[in-house]
Amino acid sequence: MKKFNKAVALALATVLCVASLSACGDKKTSVSSTSTPASASSTETSTSSVEEKQVEVEKFEGSFIWKDTVSTLATNWNPHTYQTTDDAYPIDDVETVSSLYRLIFNDANHPIDGKEPFTGYVIVPEMAAADPVDVTAKVRTEHPEFGLSDTAEKVAWAIQLRDDLCFDDGTKITADTFVESFKRLMDPKLLNYRAVDYYEGNYAIVNAANYYFQGTTSYSDNGKNNKYAITDLVKGDDGQYTAPNGDKMYIGLGYALEWTGGDTLKDYVDAYGAQYFDVSTWDQLSALIDENGLVPLTDENYQLFLPVITGNEAWGETEADAFNYFVQAHYYEDNYDFANVGLFKSGDNEITYVLNNSFDGFYLKIYALSNNWLVEPNLYDACLKETETASGTVWSSTYNTNVETSRSYGPYKVSDYQLDKSMHFVQNDKWFGWNDGNHIYVDPTDGKTYPMYQSTEVDTQVVAEAATRKQMFLAGEIMGYGLQAEDFDQYRNSEFAHATPAETIYFIILNGYEKVINEREAADDFDTATTDIQTALLNTFRRAIAVTFDRDLFCATVSPARVAGFGLIGNTFIYDPETCAYYRDSDQAMQALCDFYSVDTSKYASLKDAVASITGFDPETAKKLYQEAYTEALEKNYITDADGDGKSDQTVTLTYSISSDSDFMTKMIDYLNEKIAETTVGTGFEGKVQIVKSAPVGNDWSNNIRNGVADVVLAGWSGSAMDPFSTTSVYVNPGQAYDGKWFDATAHNMTVKIDGKDVTLNLKQWSDALQGEIDVNGVKYNFGYGIAPVETRLEILAKFEGEILSTYDYIPMMNNGAMSLLSQQVYYVVEDYNPVLSRGGIRYAKYNYDETEWKDYVASQGGTLNY
Amino acid sequence: MLKYVIKRILYMILVFLIITLMCFVLVRMLPLPTLPPEDSHTKVVMMRREALGYNEPYLVQFWIFLKNVITKFDWGLSEKLYFGQDVWTIFRQKLPATMIVNLYSIILSIPFGIALGILAALKKNSWVDYTISTLTMVVISVPSFVYAFIIQYVFCFKLKWFPFLMKSGTDWFSPAMFRSMIPPVMALSFGVIAQFTRTTRAELTEVLTSEFMLLARTKGLTKAQATIRHALRNCFIVIVPSIFGEFIGILGGSLIIEKIFAIPGVGGLTLNAINGLDYNIYMLSTCFYTIVSLSASLVVDISMGFIDPRIRMGSRK
Repeated sequence: MKKFNKAVALALATVLCVASLSACGDKKTSVSSTSTPASASSTETSTSSVEEKQVEVEKFEGSFIWKDTVSTLATNWNPHTYQTTDDAYPIDDVETVSSLYRLIFNDANHPIDGKEPFTGYVIVPEMAAADPVDVTAKVRTEHPEFGLSDTAEKVAWAIQLRDDLCFDDGTKITADTFVESFKRLMDPKLLNYRAVDYYEGNYAIVNAANYYFQGTTSYSDNGKNNKYAITDLVKGDDGQYTAPNGDKMYIGLGYALEWTGGDTLKDYVDAYGAQYFDVSTWDQLSALIDENGLVPLTDENYQLFLPVITGNEAWGETEADAFNYFVQAHYYEDNYDFANVGLFKSGDNEITYVLNNSFDGFYLKIYALSNNWLVEPNLYDACLKETETASGTVWSSTYNTNVETSRSYGPYKVSDYQLDKSMHFVQNDKWFGWNDGNHIYVDPTDGKTYPMYQSTEVDTQVVAEAATRKQMFLAGEIMGYGLQAEDFDQYRNSEFAHATPAETIYFIILNGYEKVINEREAADDFDTATTDIQTALLNTFRRAIAVTFDRDLFCATVSPARVAGFGLIGNTFIYDPETCAYYRDSDQAMQALCDFYSVDTSKYASLKDAVASITGFDPETAKKLYQEAYTEALEKNYITDADGDGKSDQTVTLTYSISSDSDFMTKMIDYLNEKIAETTVGTGFEGKVQIVKSAPVGNDWSNNIRNGVADVVLAGWSGSAMDPFSTTSVYVNPGQAYDGKWFDATAHNMTVKIDGKDVTLNLKQWSDALQGEIDVNGVKYNFGYGIAPVETRLEILAKFEGEILSTYDYIPMMNNGAMSLLSQQVYYVVEDYNPVLSRGGIRYAKYNYDETEWKDYVASQGGTLNY
Repeated sequence: MLKYVIKRILYMILVFLIITLMCFVLVRMLPLPTLPPEDSHTKVVMMRREALGYNEPYLVQFWIFLKNVITKFDWGLSEKLYFGQDVWTIFRQKLPATMIVNLYSIILSIPFGIALGILAALKKNSWVDYTISTLTMVVISVPSFVYAFIIQYVFCFKLKWFPFLMKSGTDWFSPAMFRSMIPPVMALSFGVIAQFTRTTRAELTEVLTSEFMLLARTKGLTKAQATIRHALRNCFIVIVPSIFGEFIGILGGSLIIEKIFAIPGVGGLTLNAINGLDYNIYMLSTCFYTIVSLSASLVVDISMGFIDPRIRMGSRK
């Protein structure tokens, strides 16, 4: 905050004119308020184009270098091919790109009713000149090639681009650049990894898949997608069944099916044979499997196939399940014309997106109208290389892999790059945003207006070791240091410490796979005289475990950067991105927690207070439940009490499946055992419940809990921070759910009152209906985004959460997070973490000292700073 | 001798081809990462694997690989770690950092190590010998990354004599670069010095007690003359192969030291290539080190003849 020289006003028109004329021309004529400091007495005024009023914009003087570290340096930040978050660093963290629309914090210039500045966000045009215009009706009429139906709404959007867009070398960015970039992204011969984001999924562009896959056949899992039964199919002249759209249908015997978690029927038959299947026709059938693992779906083959899955009761399927094994083959027409792809130049510097799905508002501007595939076409083409391989040729690109092949169109550009060592970025003086009056904000602490991106340079070094990072941080050489476990005692209360929550909730997952638990106990090497695991199946026992641990204490003991978690869905999930409303703050979500943890809400002034009272720890109830479980276990002969001392003869021994041993594991399991021991005192299980570590099993830990051969793990799911509704799928799909082998979501009904009427569906159906339309016995349900009112969706989600918690398969323990120290050289305008904008990143970072002052300050502190 | 060298070179080529083929096949036999069927990127990855020829027979793939290397010196492109980039270019970019740091280490270590070894041998069973021997054992027993952290903490953090990390850039011989290399060079050198000290001491102690040393002294040579002219020369039969061994180590780099001091070298390249199943990087680094090792062993064998005239390679009785 030191040494800011105030500026005096210039007229907006002048600034914008100069900016637009100079932005893509000679660097020297560009007016930059940040990279070329004015003299101490000079002042400048720009006018916010949003408000159309003159405002004084503070001016930063000096050199401000953001000094960052990474463990792994980006090696390929080509927007068409990058695959890792490390590679996305220059794009996401340093902002070498801009977007059509962007999110900024709400401030005095962009207020939101009812929200304090910098507690929410607004969407403003960035590379776009204005908001998108819905041109669905026009496109439907004028462009039949896109095949828009009469009922399609909000699928075609026209965007007028700014006139002053250019790459860092001065090459102009026009509507043609957008179209040419997208054409290259979708080029079938390049097999670009990122293309999938635009030909498939929610944000797919019309006909992009047809262009990308031209001349190839694509196979899709019928059980996952269309779910055609054989009666829905049409028999072709050659005897092979086809889908209603003409696609050929196959039986996927050797095809990885999603519902089996990627296994194939052939895997199962080969492994289990007659134990689970009728294999009388298998040899004849398997001889027909082609190189894709498929057999044409004909009457003859179907008759050979049916007995395999229906002929043995152990497998337990009927003909109604046969559709799960069908595979649909779609052939994409060769030589497909890119003109049919739904992204085209529709006017003078205007582009139009034609989407497969309807969007509006937040999702439209931030996700559907993405332009993160923009490249400089000439350089891109020059970077392509064709290489001979054993099966022909393959194409690769060196675009955005070094300084020479790198093009920026954001506020920063790559100025130096050394492989696996360092990257250096400087301000991109060709960027349109320096002088447009839009990239400013009002700091709520002093009410003054500042330009974004105070950092004049970004220096990124590879520092692999935390110990080195810590020393460099304390020596003032880097901006941040992520606290390690051993640092918390010293730094957790530092004024420079920032907590950053994450989406994941970690649960204790309790084995409930009765069949396998019984098998384990029946094994010869299992000593039933001293050991028991069947008790873990008892609901009373599982409920007791659930109230045995104080979640706050648990986090403080095993992982101080994390905070207590009580629900399935974490604290950072936003249910309404338009308003930045948090799911956990909604009445429905709070009520769900109060219901599950039996909190009497009438005793509290508000639901928020009631939720705040939850600790997850209730020793009295736990004792009662342990004793009930003891009695129940005796009745079921899970345990014995031969000496009649009121204590179990067996120790309930739960195996924790560890991937690898670590201090964290030891600390956590010790804590769990300690609290269980404390809580079981005075019950029949006193000293008779323990959790023991398995041998390290690597990645098999998750299979072990899923298959019931382990009894406890701590695990969680991450997900899209702005879509808590989509997280439901991981609890109802057997391929994903940890309890998928013993919890059948289709057999678990839930009733929700909607529009005054009770609607009863099973949990799988509710989950699917939250994503889109489902058909249940001819009745259609759709509680998807933009279809059902958000309050209804919340009601469903909260109730769903309560239902899953009630299985006691998942016992929430902690919300993921991290804590880091921020250098005294800088600060963020906002202290509180926002799941969408974090703390604003480099855009909103402000400096207390420029580089010269910082060096002096560090020296004055003896070269080592105190945090 | 010439005939022997030619014969050895031909053997080398044969061994090189066998090792190359074995590595080519073995690395491809490692299972590629399983692709989740529900992930929409799976199909693209599968198509790319197909285009890369991964589904073709190994020998067909090997033939294309060999043909490109021999006819165009084209080692292919990285598919995973440095997507789309020429692996030979990457290797060339990364090799100098490793070589220079390790070269400095060798330059520092050999004279120091040999000198300490000589001193310990000459002062055998004195406090000097005990001190050197004890320190040598301690240094050899402690892994080099421990020194690295200590050096970094003491000299970079506390005393602030050196930067924490090796300097960015390719100005390998600039003063600033040299200064930034001192901590890793120190960390690398301790172990090497100790090894040379131990080897030299052991060999020299044995040679010094030989009868020919007594003869040399009775001829009138001073102790220094006898040691330098006769004892040391005999010791070098053992020491020289060690130097070549260290030379190969120079090219291989040290994974952990490179990580701690952010040296952009080749230290972890082979391991990363195996973990990432980046076939072309793995093949290049494997072939490179195979050639270096085979060449070094040939040079060592030939050099023996010069060190000890009694050894004549390839001579027949």
